[in-house]
Amino acid sequence: MRKQKTWQTVLKRTAVIVAAVFAFFPIYWLISTSFKPFDEWANWPPIWLTDNPTLQNYRIVFFPELAREFAAQQEGSLDYKVSGSAWNAFKGSAIVSVAATIISVAFGTLAAYSIVRFKTGGKNYPFQFLTVRMVPPIAVVVPMVVLFSILKLSDTYFGLILAYSAFTLPFSIWMIRSFIDDVPAELEGAAMIHGMGQFRAFLTVTLPLVKGGILSTALFIFILNWSEFLFALVLTAGNVVTVTLQVANYVSASSGKLYGVQAAMGTISTLPVIVFGYMIQRHIVRGLTFGAIKR
Amino acid sequence: MSKKSIVTDRSRRKFMQSAAVGATAAVIAPSFIMSPRMANAATLGNVHIEAAKKAKELAAGRNITLKVLQPSGSLGNVKPVADQFTALTGVAVEYLEVPLGEITQKILLEAVAKSGAFDLALPATFGMPDLVESGILVNLDQYASKYEPAGFQDDALFSTGDYYKGSLYGYQTDGDTYVMFYNKDWLENPDENKKFADKNGYELKVPDTWEELDAMMAHFHHPDKGMYGGALFRTQYFLAWEWWVRFHAKGFFPLDDDLNPQINNAAGVEALEEMVAASKHLYPGARTNGLFENFEAFGAGDKFCNIGWGGTQKFLNSDKSSIKGRMAFGPTPGGIVDGKLLRTPYFNWGWNYVVSSVSAEPEIAYLLTLYACSPAMSTVAVRDPDGYFDPFRGAHYEDDAIIKTYSPEFLAVHKASMEGSIPDLYLKGQGEYFDELRTNLGAADAGTKTAKQALDDTAKSWERITRRMGKRSQGVQWSFLKSIYPSSIRNRLK
Amino acid sequence: MNRIPFNIRLVLPAQLTIMAIVVVPTVILLWLAHTDWQPTQNIPWFDAEFYWFWNFYDLWYDERFINSVFRTLFVVATCIAVELFLALGLALLFLDEWPWRKVAVSIIILPMMIIPVDAANAFFMLFNERGPINHLITVITGEVFEFSWLSHPTWAMVPIMLAEIWQWTPLMFLLVLTGLMNLPENQIRAAVGLGASPVRIFFRVMLPLLVPVISIAVVIRAIETFKIFDPVYILTRGQPGGATETISMYMYNGAFVYFRMGYIAAAALLVLFVVVSVCLVLARPLRKHG
Repeated sequence: MRKQKTWQTVLKRTAVIVAAVFAFFPIYWLISTSFKPFDEWANWPPIWLTDNPTLQNYRIVFFPELAREFAAQQEGSLDYKVSGSAWNAFKGSAIVSVAATIISVAFGTLAAYSIVRFKTGGKNYPFQFLTVRMVPPIAVVVPMVVLFSILKLSDTYFGLILAYSAFTLPFSIWMIRSFIDDVPAELEGAAMIHGMGQFRAFLTVTLPLVKGGILSTALFIFILNWSEFLFALVLTAGNVVTVTLQVANYVSASSGKLYGVQAAMGTISTLPVIVFGYMIQRHIVRGLTFGAIKR
Repeated sequence: MSKKSIVTDRSRRKFMQSAAVGATAAVIAPSFIMSPRMANAATLGNVHIEAAKKAKELAAGRNITLKVLQPSGSLGNVKPVADQFTALTGVAVEYLEVPLGEITQKILLEAVAKSGAFDLALPATFGMPDLVESGILVNLDQYASKYEPAGFQDDALFSTGDYYKGSLYGYQTDGDTYVMFYNKDWLENPDENKKFADKNGYELKVPDTWEELDAMMAHFHHPDKGMYGGALFRTQYFLAWEWWVRFHAKGFFPLDDDLNPQINNAAGVEALEEMVAASKHLYPGARTNGLFENFEAFGAGDKFCNIGWGGTQKFLNSDKSSIKGRMAFGPTPGGIVDGKLLRTPYFNWGWNYVVSSVSAEPEIAYLLTLYACSPAMSTVAVRDPDGYFDPFRGAHYEDDAIIKTYSPEFLAVHKASMEGSIPDLYLKGQGEYFDELRTNLGAADAGTKTAKQALDDTAKSWERITRRMGKRSQGVQWSFLKSIYPSSIRNRLK
Repeated sequence: MNRIPFNIRLVLPAQLTIMAIVVVPTVILLWLAHTDWQPTQNIPWFDAEFYWFWNFYDLWYDERFINSVFRTLFVVATCIAVELFLALGLALLFLDEWPWRKVAVSIIILPMMIIPVDAANAFFMLFNERGPINHLITVITGEVFEFSWLSHPTWAMVPIMLAEIWQWTPLMFLLVLTGLMNLPENQIRAAVGLGASPVRIFFRVMLPLLVPVISIAVVIRAIETFKIFDPVYILTRGQPGGATETISMYMYNGAFVYFRMGYIAAAALLVLFVVVSVCLVLARPLRKHG
């Protein structure tokens, strides 16, 4: 009996290891490519672990001038003339993601509170917000381009922030709603007996209790905003750049796609998502199922 | 409200169309022929100085920034010139980058959004008709008449794409004509020559016609010995380009005077069948390889011929290629039409500097493009070893740095090809026309359609597209385009 | 402003934002879908000619559009099935505590935390003709395998679907795991006590109890997979020749490469209508638990 268990355990552990390898492999490739010098990007056979790690790709992303100097000294190293460093893209992503998150969470909290405590709009009202998420963004993007042209919002931070806020509101409303739901209304009732107004009671009693949940929601929505691609692709024309767009700019006339630089850009721009993602790990399930499934 | 403002854009357009249809050549030709500009001290040699001077005057006392929308990777061609412009005029220049394949789309998006995101842009030449029709490009005739020196456009070896329905909309800034590359060692090998001559009745040489090229590729194709006939492409974009040359070389325009497609006539079908037959003698990567893989593949030295642009030569003439110095060059093969050889080199990409109609400073923007495309400054731009721009003006072919990069033999062929290049289909909806062509040619090459079927389907789609685009409007541009085909070719095509 | 009840005022900001960005564009869609407007006509969109229902008629006969619909449904079905299968299998391995369990979970959910565009780029590099996938196949089969995945009309879908499956199986895994860990213990213990084999317990006891969680997971993932865009755009753009076009890619190409905005507006309207109707029906599992 024991032998069977060990054999089973070995099988199980192997399966887990295989799964972990599959999960990690593409990320490993991305990171390792980001350190490869430019003549190792598309070799045959492919280079699994480079013997000549270089920071040139990262230099090109962040400090193009330094990259040019390095290339001048180091023969055969990639000298790619970028218009601006990726700082512009990071700045753009930061501005848009943070602002859109704040708006989404703020509006979402207010709406969630109203729905939970006042049953505003009736039983089916929250589902109206869900339908926003069901809409394929591409379907809305075409008239949005027209709308933005009328409102002069094309290629502006504000336009993108507005679009992102609207499309993440369903998440913030549903997630925060489930957090507020966890707090019994009696707590506020107790505060109200002491003379507080209802909203005041909410702010002083319930809000601190759901603080953690709201923060997790905010991080979750930040991740969605930071990773967004389609709206950024269509609603900007070069003045506003996000990290998801910047990766596509790393092509050159003589070598096509600059894999190493794209990998470097990808690795760095994905770091915030990884960090925040792990921070809110517990709440991911709640978030991505609109609060339907809690741990 | 004056009477003028009551006339909407739409009715004005309709009026222009009917007027143009009635008197196409007469209305268009004079403004295009470009009589020497008056009241203008500039010459080819100093136009850049004059342009900068005038820009400085116009910008005096104001803080002006011009934004340039450019395809990723072209900064090396644009920035050195723009920096000098800034130094001379005090006008700052900013760059907005978009991926190469998207730039025409981004500009068209601006036609809808009208956000003023950029003042100048660098679309691909074949995208110009759509951009003009959408109203996002400034008609540069007014500025050209003031500032353009005599002979400016004659010095540009290919300026067919600069004009649309008779007006100037941008200056060409890249020499993207198709050129052939040959393995010189194989071509001049006496044993191969004897074998070939015995079989075909003429000696090996840089082929003049597609027939000769196909025969040579067949002759040299020995995959078992690691020798391949050609490194030509069989991916969709390149299929269309190769077929375009083969078809024109048979002596026909793609459309007749009434915009009916001629692509599916006997010559078109023949051209496609010959192209598909030639696929047998290409290297295995032909169906999947992109441009950069092709550079490396031909650079390995085991294929007889290749087709490409200046960019191809920049690689093949560098130390990364083992065929450096062992190549012969030739124009794209032609055909025998009415008993004589007809050469139809093909300018199939190109970049144009254009001015946005939403720009607040169109005149200064125009002066920047004039500056950048002047013989002196464009030489600086073309010198960049890592950029897109290939030679396109006489001065470039005499610059030492450029000669060193491309090699004199290549430049000789390149220059001759540029001077006699046929254009792409510069019509509104070019993307749609060519997309239909590409898909059907791909099907023919894969064997899922016969050549006749493929071209018939394309022709039907083309008729539909022309109807949707407006037959009259397309007709105006088509007659204009035909009239500016190179004169040596124009009269020999039916 | 004071006459509006307090609770209404609270939802106003959210409601108005959504109306501005979702409802107003839909209204614009209603107009655009009945014109053949293209920016190259050089007329403002509201001046476009009324085109009756010809766009819908053309869409019905548009092979490329119909193909993209079926292709998308195929992608959704395949990806969900594979994700669910893998998730179930994996989750079973994590039911009990064992050393390094937490670490393993962290690694397995790592794909969810990668920006989809960067993951797609990684897959582009992986499936390059000279990439590691082909290298592995070469080593395993002993024959040189330099297949060009992304240029092949049929096989190009594989990297795209793999990218999607790779990225979102962790989510399914988490959902299924949550469901499994919340299963009522007494039923399972009873079945064990009655001497049922593990396989039977799984299929007869656990799976039926998991149905609510699985249905929520499937519905949510189906909705999101239907919209798939980032991997398709990065890996193939819908090439070669539309062979890997999903609905979102088709609409993007139609609207922003060919700029047939009126026509694509009609397609968008159709898709909106169908998707919202279907989802409202499918979302019943969510409603039950929400």
